[in-house]
Amino acid sequence: MQRVIERILNLLALLLTVDRPVTASEIRNTVAGYDRDSDTAFHRTFERDKALLRDLGIPIEREATDAFEVEFGYAVDGERYSLADPGLSDDERVALSLAVQAVGFGGRTLGEEALMKLGGVAAGSSGTQLGADLGEQADAVAAAFEAISERRFFEFEYRGTRRRVRPYGLVHRRGRWYLVASEANGEIIKVFRLDRASDIRQVPGDDAFTRPEGFNPAEWVIREPWEAGDEWMVATVVFDPDVAWIARRELGPRANIADHPDGTIRAEIEVASADAFIGWLIGFEDRAEIIAPDRLRSRLIELVRNA
Amino acid sequence: MTNSPRTAGRINRLLAMLPWVIANPGAHVDEVCTRFGYTRSELAKDLNTVFVCGLPGYGPGDLMDATIDDDEVTVEMADYFSRPLRLTAAETFGLLASAKAVQSAGLGGVSLDRAVRKLEETLVPGGGDSVVVDMPEPPMADLLRTAAVDGTVVRIDHTSIASGRQTVRDIEPWSVFTTLGNWYVSGYCRRVGAERVFRIDRIRTATPTDERFTPAGAARTATLHYMPGDDDVHATIRLGAASRWVAEYYPVEIVSRRSEELTIRMAASDPLVIARLLARLGSDATLIEGESVASALEDLRSRILSRYAADA
Repeated sequence: MQRVIERILNLLALLLTVDRPVTASEIRNTVAGYDRDSDTAFHRTFERDKALLRDLGIPIEREATDAFEVEFGYAVDGERYSLADPGLSDDERVALSLAVQAVGFGGRTLGEEALMKLGGVAAGSSGTQLGADLGEQADAVAAAFEAISERRFFEFEYRGTRRRVRPYGLVHRRGRWYLVASEANGEIIKVFRLDRASDIRQVPGDDAFTRPEGFNPAEWVIREPWEAGDEWMVATVVFDPDVAWIARRELGPRANIADHPDGTIRAEIEVASADAFIGWLIGFEDRAEIIAPDRLRSRLIELVRNA
Repeated sequence: MTNSPRTAGRINRLLAMLPWVIANPGAHVDEVCTRFGYTRSELAKDLNTVFVCGLPGYGPGDLMDATIDDDEVTVEMADYFSRPLRLTAAETFGLLASAKAVQSAGLGGVSLDRAVRKLEETLVPGGGDSVVVDMPEPPMADLLRTAAVDGTVVRIDHTSIASGRQTVRDIEPWSVFTTLGNWYVSGYCRRVGAERVFRIDRIRTATPTDERFTPAGAARTATLHYMPGDDDVHATIRLGAASRWVAEYYPVEIVSRRSEELTIRMAASDPLVIARLLARLGSDATLIEGESVASALEDLRSRILSRYAADA
């Protein structure tokens, strides 16, 4: 490993110093650590080293050495190599470090390397207040984030269809990651659950579109399952005293709730999908009852009767 | 042979440490170690590597100069490594999402707010929110977390999601955590004499008692997965077209697939969990196998229909 690290530091030092593409043969003959005897050995090593540098985020490009494009070499653009320094103070880095330690992605943390690049954390910080896990799809979500920040088209398989979208934003809500995007050939905003997307791919080509100004992805992702639909109605439901507290907590401030002296509550709730709402309400079994509208009440009776 | 992730990790750390040391010549070796997670000997090893690297020619004027002298770290002749490497998209995402999760839970502070603003301004072009994390902390979390730190036994009034059964228990809270969209408290339950995890939204009241326990130390970040148990009930269910979402939503085993129909097998800790699911699916789902689920469904159906004064 020692020799590998030396060789890669030497390679990177050269690429960051010269202001021109360097051919593979020049690298082989000048950079310490490469095999000068065997062609195969050199190429294998060189390919591996390039892959490692690219994985680290180092922008190695293959470019023509002159206008005739006969010969190609490798170059690292110093501007693209370098961090745009956000200028964090030590207390800001400590706050970020605590956040990184407190939040897992399927059990692992993300962001320690980033903090080192930002200058490391001076004080030993410990004592996480929060234990949170943002799920196991970190790789897919990070890929979507890359497409968002580079404004690249994003492709994936979703419910049996290949989609190509302009990705605008990511929302984590109710334990899931959602991608808010518009179809590449249309303007309609759609919301995709990333745990249902497979075979994802970023379409090469930065700045392929512009994000709508001040776009707020959170507005597009529903909060409750029954908010998705087009059967808008106001449901009136009575909850028994022993479950009233659960209903009140789950409905939150968006429902209109009236208390009765006997401990029951009457809630008025905006519903866009009858079946999704009934799905939630059946969790209360026989301790809740739909009062209105009639069609919602009959729908519940019909479902339960035929179950 | 491929270059190992450990090699990548070492190079990443070197490329982060060098710019900082170049910008802060003579920094104390302990500070460099703390900032970049080195032990003293690891740092010495990396600096020795730097010392033998440089530009082609590799003579005295071409190599970098790296020393620890009187506990002061200095790197010279390495201008090409004076600027930190940019963050990868995955790294920026990890930082931002972690920070926003803490903010959303209401546990951030002014430093974190400033850090997030700076990161977004410099690293995410275009403005607006590109990552939103929505996981507000329930009000009771604070009391439970404080009790976990202080070692206070808490009496909770809890209603089980699966069975609907309400119990009052004394628990020794260990940690408060959130995963898959819900908040939980884990701890030792004195009523059953074992470790238990409770969903906080199903705790009606939590009251600190005079009883104490010895906290285990640092709170652990817990993750929660559905763990099949010996007492689980099983059911085989045929799903129609309108109910296929069940197979994506719940952990199920797919038994067979025939055009629009899907037959699945699922498990739950209580037959009522599956009965409630069947009740909402109506005629679009059929229970094929699962005796305890069938009787739970029968009971649930008659209770709900009698509430609605409707005939079975």
